[in-house]
Amino acid sequence: MGYVAARGGTEAIAAAEELVRRSRLNADASWLELDQLTERLRYLNDRVMGEGGLWAPQLAARAIRQAEGDVIEAAHLLRAHRSTLPRLCELIPADADELRPLRRIVPAFREVPGPQLLGRTLDYTGRLLDLGDEDQARAAAAAATAAAARHPEDDPAENAGATEPPFPERLLDVLRRTDLAVDRRRDDDPEPTDISQVAVRPGIGRSAVLSVMARAETGALVNLWYRNILGPDNHLHEVTLGEVRHGELPIRVRHPRTGNPVLLGHLRATEVEAIEDLDGADEDRTRFDVGYGLVAGHNERKAIAMANLDIALHRDHSDSGLEQSVLMTTDGLDASGFLEHLKLPHYVTFRSMIERKQAMRTDRARNERKGRRHHPAPVVTPAAEQAAVPAGEVTP
Amino acid sequence: MPIREDHHTPEVLAEEELSGYLALAATEPLHALADAIITSTPGLRVLTGPTVGTARYDVREPVEAIRFGLVEVLITNAEVELEGSHGWATRLGDDRVGTLSAAICDAEVQRNGPLADSVRALCELVRADLAEQHARRWAELLPTVVHFEELDR
Repeated sequence: MGYVAARGGTEAIAAAEELVRRSRLNADASWLELDQLTERLRYLNDRVMGEGGLWAPQLAARAIRQAEGDVIEAAHLLRAHRSTLPRLCELIPADADELRPLRRIVPAFREVPGPQLLGRTLDYTGRLLDLGDEDQARAAAAAATAAAARHPEDDPAENAGATEPPFPERLLDVLRRTDLAVDRRRDDDPEPTDISQVAVRPGIGRSAVLSVMARAETGALVNLWYRNILGPDNHLHEVTLGEVRHGELPIRVRHPRTGNPVLLGHLRATEVEAIEDLDGADEDRTRFDVGYGLVAGHNERKAIAMANLDIALHRDHSDSGLEQSVLMTTDGLDASGFLEHLKLPHYVTFRSMIERKQAMRTDRARNERKGRRHHPAPVVTPAAEQAAVPAGEVTP
Repeated sequence: MPIREDHHTPEVLAEEELSGYLALAATEPLHALADAIITSTPGLRVLTGPTVGTARYDVREPVEAIRFGLVEVLITNAEVELEGSHGWATRLGDDRVGTLSAAICDAEVQRNGPLADSVRALCELVRADLAEQHARRWAELLPTVVHFEELDR
């Protein structure tokens, strides 16, 4: 039986694409404005920027709207768009210590330098679905916006004029000062690996691994951490979080005439320190070590998973294949691309599989006939006979 | 020198401070000002752009003190020449009108043109607005600072 080349489906594909476009425009709802996404669905917008690898709030909102809320599709749109753009310059690298906190908690210590600032977070909101009246909610939102616009100084007046304290010292520095942390700071300043230009493979170095995790799909990174919370001794080990911060980092470029930094604005990022209690035979058990996570936008789950995996990778010494898992399986576009290709026609592949089954069946029947000439026929029960024929078998 | 976010307005803006405020100004007033500048001064040449592209954003992390690529940032840049004076601007996002306008405003200040003071005034408004936003945000955050209470044993 030969294969017949075929083509078709172009018109159906075009019609399906048009159906999506038309339904997006004709939906029985008002047009979704970009500011609704950037301001009211900020976690979603941040996640798409982080996984898409591009800080561009308006473009991320467009991608989410175009992808009808499909996060990975939106990240894919953003990353694909990024690949069409020229790289204009390199920004001045920021130091993590420059992060201006909008939220900062230190689960490991109560009394730390600087405040513990809960900030804007869903951590302390009740998990009770708000079933309030929609019209009342809409009116309340409009009233709050109007009041803030009329009297900006009245909101929250009791704290007006309060001075923001300087950036708080990080817990890692406190541990170093008290000689409780392994000091792994390097004197050299290696050029970081640009993972958008080179293929990442195990052994590529920590800067690339950190970049891969910063761009990873959130669920993949959380899942990988959850499956690998064992120490080198293969016992469950609990990491304590040092810093958990969400804040703003400066975006600066060099002025072409003076060479001095120009502040263009800020991006928000989430930072986590994961403190590890060293207990391995070859480790300094009198000190702690720290893993680091930093992701674009507000995404604490991802940053926590990243920090824990960072220290796990350091302790692992590439023994367990964890680095390979981090590098090769956590990119949302890679994983979903491979998964979704399964939806493409596999007619030839599957036809060949059917033919192999038929050939095996023919071969088995031939062997059984030969066997019966030399041996008495086995007793076959009706149930066994039924099991031998797969349900839904295709008979081309 | 990065732009200042405090309440002190410099008498004379350093070039990078000027560019910083022009990067943070809203598009509409920048556009209006640039329109006024090129209406009064016809000798504008656009040297580059406005070009939308990306820029690599590295962060130095605290554990090994190494840099790594966190993300790329969408930016737009442009360069112009106005009556022989160079103007440059880079702004965040895809903002061709705002960036070209900012470059024109920069050139106007470089040549100390008739609308240079208007550009400086716009920068002052941006500075004041940033300071107000900053103070307002901290005032919102301050009540969320945790004050621990020692319990009697």
